[in-house]
Amino acid sequence: MASTTPVPASNANASMARFEAQTTRYGSITMSIGLLLSLAGPAYIFFFSDLQITAGMVWLSLVAVAATFGVLWFVEPLTYFPILGSAAMYQAFMIGNISNKLLPAAIVAQSTIGAKAGTKRGDLAAVMAICGAATVHLTSLLIFVGLLGTWLVTRIPTEVIEVARLYILPSLMGAVLVQAIVSMKQLRPTLVAIGLALCMQFLILPNFQSVSMFSTALVVIFSILVSWLVRDRKKFRTNGGQ
Amino acid sequence: MNTMPVLALGDPMSTDIWAVANNPVLWICALGVFTVIFVQTVLYMRAARAAAPHVEMPKRELTESFRAGAVASIGPSLAVVLVAIALLALFGTPAVLLRIGLVGSAQAETASAQIAASTMGADLGGSLYTQQVFAVAFITMSLSGGMWMLTTLLLTPVLKKGGKSLAKKNPAVMALIPTAALIAAFSSLSIAELPKSNVHAMLIFISAGLMGLFLLLAKLLNAKWLREWALGFSIVISLTAAYFLHTA
Repeated sequence: MASTTPVPASNANASMARFEAQTTRYGSITMSIGLLLSLAGPAYIFFFSDLQITAGMVWLSLVAVAATFGVLWFVEPLTYFPILGSAAMYQAFMIGNISNKLLPAAIVAQSTIGAKAGTKRGDLAAVMAICGAATVHLTSLLIFVGLLGTWLVTRIPTEVIEVARLYILPSLMGAVLVQAIVSMKQLRPTLVAIGLALCMQFLILPNFQSVSMFSTALVVIFSILVSWLVRDRKKFRTNGGQ
Repeated sequence: MNTMPVLALGDPMSTDIWAVANNPVLWICALGVFTVIFVQTVLYMRAARAAAPHVEMPKRELTESFRAGAVASIGPSLAVVLVAIALLALFGTPAVLLRIGLVGSAQAETASAQIAASTMGADLGGSLYTQQVFAVAFITMSLSGGMWMLTTLLLTPVLKKGGKSLAKKNPAVMALIPTAALIAAFSSLSIAELPKSNVHAMLIFISAGLMGLFLLLAKLLNAKWLREWALGFSIVISLTAAYFLHTA
């Protein structure tokens, strides 16, 4: 393990261990507070508004979302841990936009100072880069969305806002789908997913209206299963299961 | 909107989303999360500064790394800002700041919100998108986003000890599941837009086509910035098209 480290190994290892311990403590405490604060607003709406929201409504909706994205709650932390390391994990999952912003920032910083990923210098460079990215990100969100954006929406004519509200979903979703397909570059899962989604929309839903609440979740679950069954076995052979 | 007492907030059937979504309590919570991340950043920088001299890393390199990360994220951050502004009318500022700007992403959070709305028999932004539907969508997005933070809090110490993560043991499954899940979710939500109206159907193809075009141009011109801005540009141009199609 220690063979990759340069000269003053013990001193360097001790101070990196201290860095790890400190960031783990700071990171987990700040993230816990962040978690509580991000749930405080919804809790306030749930308990203190007159919107007649029942626990049943929230459960139903959470189950539908969990059936769609629940597997990612576990997969994403597992996927990013080897790349980010423990210190940056607590930053990344609070700041968000990991793959499109934080990872590129970390890589640029490492190449700027000529440090390799996974080395001690590389780790510190990555953490500093994420700090830099976080500072820019928070500031631009506060100024351009919090202040300017809010003001802008009050100035735009209401009929334009109405149109934007009515059509934002198709305007976003088509682009998001293409972005996901192109960035993942996996032909078989893509064909499976689109095929199953078409079946759901045009064959199953017209006949079984009752599944409409869970239609996306069902498409997701069956896409995972079918994609696994029709996977390219040549590509996956090296680690094929039992 | 008149003089409401604080505890009598909202009207379940009203479609005036902003009256609920921009409530001061939600603003305070959102700004609180910003503050927490700022504090975290400062603490991390102090820890890095203390460790650097012992690994033969001059202070200058820490500053350079910070600056490199900051500069590299200007483009992506402003690209997120553009998408966030487009979603303001739908979710109000505090929810957009927290759910789209931080923690989650526009893609996953909008998908979650639409799934939540559909369990209430409504669509995001549709005629049944009431304050009540918004509130359920917001609560669901927050709980779902909270799960990512919770798994991070629980799994990180485990992974640190174990070292050998599932990702190492079985990379094939780990690569396949998120790909299949995300593409399936976005396919399903896109295709569900098609039967809603002609304009909806056209917009799905317009926005998909625009994204394809921008990604192709980004590749041909080797323009990384265009890849980052592609989503924001696609949304804004599609919404402009929506305005003309709707009023035509």
